[in-house]
Amino acid sequence: MSSEQDHLKDTDTEARFDFKKEESSAFQTEKGLTEETVRVISEDKDEPEWMLNRRLRALKQFQKMPMPTDWPGQPDLSEVDVAEIVPYIRPDVDVRAGVDDWTELPDEIKDTFDKLGIPEAEKNALSGVGAQYESEVVYQNMQERWEEKGVIFMNMDKAVQEHPEIVKEHFMTKCVPPSDNKFAALHGAVWSGGSFVYVPEDVTVEMPVQAYFRMNSEGMGQFEHTLIVAEDGAEVHYIEGCSAPKYSAFNLHSGGVEVFVGEDAHVQYSTVQNWSKNTYNLNTKRALVEADGRMEWISGSMGSKATMLYPSTVLKGPRASDNHITIAFAGDGQNIDTGAKVYHNAPDTKSTIESKSISKDGGRTNYRGLVHIADGATDSSTSVECDALMFDNESTSDTMPYMEINESKVDVAHEATVGKIGDEDVFYLQSRGLDDDDAKQMIVSGFIEPITEELPIEYAVELNRLVELEMEGSLG
Amino acid sequence: MSGVQLPANLSEETVREISETRDEPEWLLEARLDALESLETLELPDVIQTPGRRWTNLDALDFESLVDPLDQADETERASDEGVEVLTFAEAIDAHPERVESAFGSTIDPEENYLTALSAALFTTGTVVYVPEGVDAEDVTIRAEMNSRSLFSHTLVVTEKSSSVTILESIESGESVDSDARYFSNLVEIDAGENSYVQYGSLQDLEEDTYSYSLKRADVGTYATVNWIEGNLGSRLTRSDVESELNGDSAETKIVGAFFGHSDQHFDVNARVWHNAENTTADLVTRGVLDEEARSVYEGVQDVGRDAWNTSSYQRENTLMLSDDSEADASPKLIIQNHDTEASHSATVGQVDQEDLFYMVSRSVPPQQARNMLVEGFFVPVLEEIEVDEFREDLEELIAARLR
Repeated sequence: MSSEQDHLKDTDTEARFDFKKEESSAFQTEKGLTEETVRVISEDKDEPEWMLNRRLRALKQFQKMPMPTDWPGQPDLSEVDVAEIVPYIRPDVDVRAGVDDWTELPDEIKDTFDKLGIPEAEKNALSGVGAQYESEVVYQNMQERWEEKGVIFMNMDKAVQEHPEIVKEHFMTKCVPPSDNKFAALHGAVWSGGSFVYVPEDVTVEMPVQAYFRMNSEGMGQFEHTLIVAEDGAEVHYIEGCSAPKYSAFNLHSGGVEVFVGEDAHVQYSTVQNWSKNTYNLNTKRALVEADGRMEWISGSMGSKATMLYPSTVLKGPRASDNHITIAFAGDGQNIDTGAKVYHNAPDTKSTIESKSISKDGGRTNYRGLVHIADGATDSSTSVECDALMFDNESTSDTMPYMEINESKVDVAHEATVGKIGDEDVFYLQSRGLDDDDAKQMIVSGFIEPITEELPIEYAVELNRLVELEMEGSLG
Repeated sequence: MSGVQLPANLSEETVREISETRDEPEWLLEARLDALESLETLELPDVIQTPGRRWTNLDALDFESLVDPLDQADETERASDEGVEVLTFAEAIDAHPERVESAFGSTIDPEENYLTALSAALFTTGTVVYVPEGVDAEDVTIRAEMNSRSLFSHTLVVTEKSSSVTILESIESGESVDSDARYFSNLVEIDAGENSYVQYGSLQDLEEDTYSYSLKRADVGTYATVNWIEGNLGSRLTRSDVESELNGDSAETKIVGAFFGHSDQHFDVNARVWHNAENTTADLVTRGVLDEEARSVYEGVQDVGRDAWNTSSYQRENTLMLSDDSEADASPKLIIQNHDTEASHSATVGQVDQEDLFYMVSRSVPPQQARNMLVEGFFVPVLEEIEVDEFREDLEELIAARLR
């Protein structure tokens, strides 16, 4: 680890995520979801008429759709009662549009992000940073040199006001329509905050841009919307991180992510999710990729009570490619149901999916994925690899891949293995002087190595630290 | 049940009539009537559904025209080996009333789904194979011809301690009937006793106007082994489920499947194993070839239970597509609740390897013949598992006949 990462080493990791702040807010909607709530949110944001109409349409869709309950082995969502959720909280700061200097933030919010190490990371390794507290983005800044090249990185609410033409075309239309699933519809009705990233033609944003999402209030729902538009030949890496303190009531996170990858463009989307273990994390993430474009999804899911997340990619143009790397770690009481979805709709498209999951102390991980190769998508290839590691007999690990092949000139391979930690490996390491815990931790780090090496070093360090934290004192 | 049409003249009277003409005991009539009654509430077997795609559409089955309960005819030849009893269902009821009563429905609950209940209510043919303790039997064959518009069959296999048996069952269409669609249903239950061995081979080569449903399930006891071989070549649409429950410690199973579809055939083949005891082993191998507009659906499930310590479980599925209009869906699933498990699964879909083809053509084998040889070679891992020579030769012949 280089000296730039020392700030990460110094921080007590547990304290970094688990502290809570007094709830204080300027504006808070009533619990539950009615047309009135949606209108109030829209009005508080001063939104144009078309956005209000889209929200209301999504709300109707939401009310119409049934709760998904019939998926084999899916997490129990019976506790998720939307009527109990506070969908919108505007923090009590005068930052309607977000500030671009940390010192302008109220101390308790700044302190939160300091503890999470965000401002430090910004200095060292990032092109731009956004930070969302409850429902609103409170901080957003990007280095000037990117702004000069026409790169836009701003909070989504502001983008609705300032770039209506781009937002109107792309926001929950072609990529993730509200009718996609019940939680996408809910998201469409009450979304707030999130990031808007626009990279003009042939611009390469060399350092990643990052957004950090924090839920602080009990019983709230966070519904941030991320829209990334990479024009032809553009390149960008977007990172999101999430955390929340633990309360007794449940929190709901239902984000929406839409990525448009232009011809020959390249977008990498990385997530490290560490929601508290009372959070239901039900997201819809999708990318549309044009010819020669490349999409990469990298996600680490450590937190949440239940996660249902299947980032999907539609390979629309010839030679488009997709790369999924996911890691899930489920401990006591957690049910992490993740996977990947890829639609090959053009010839010569390529996808690889690599999934690693670890379950222990009664945790449950599930890989659920779909690869669809449409008729005419000749010479496409896909490979799916799922590995699961189980620590004890209370844990469960399922793998449910689905493959639909409508074209003969293709190359499709799926492989999965499930195993326990090898006693021989542990014995070998112990014979080299490591104690039992360290040996197991080292084996797990090795197991997830293919994932961490894809991440920028800060995130790799954080991911490893989270895994260490998950494992601390729990092995024996 | 909603959405499924009840067959014409399916009523309590019909079921009583079937039972009466066959002079069945009271318990079987009761079982049939219970199954009939449950049709109201039962659903069709689960099929996989993903957004925008239903892998097999069983709802489209028109039972009204397919099933005529009182018109069922078959011609079945049964060959037996020394020491083993191979009886028709009716004979078995007379010879071993108690044994049949306790085995019937013990592994497959007739009320499991709509199609099993229909089968239990209406079956008119079937075979009971009983292998007494310590008997080693080979070459039991059950060759059936279907001579009516619809036919329901029920097979029971019971093996006592330390016995062994190899069984070959085949079904094909006999004389043609005046109808444009037919329906064949077959339930097979195996109760494998301690340290017994069963290889059950099944070959389906029905006319391509026939819809076929089969559910085969084994209850595998301590140290017992049940090996299934499932060959599907005929029919318009086949739904086949082959399943093993490893209920005794050190039980083993192999589920080997082969299918070869052409024209617009649809095969929905499923292999499932439940590891419910310690030190159990399972190996699932399925190989299929699709030509023309044929379509295949495959689901493999390896379910390792909480108490299944030291489990080994493997699954492989390979599909070869010979035509651009064929479609293949596959879903190999792992459900693991015990960490002391070694499990793997894999699935591939692809074409005939171009390099292999090139090599053979360069050795002056004509391209078409080279391709055919590669397809035959593709099935070898499955053919090698078959212990009954007659069965292997039959399957080889059917594959060769289908090659263009």
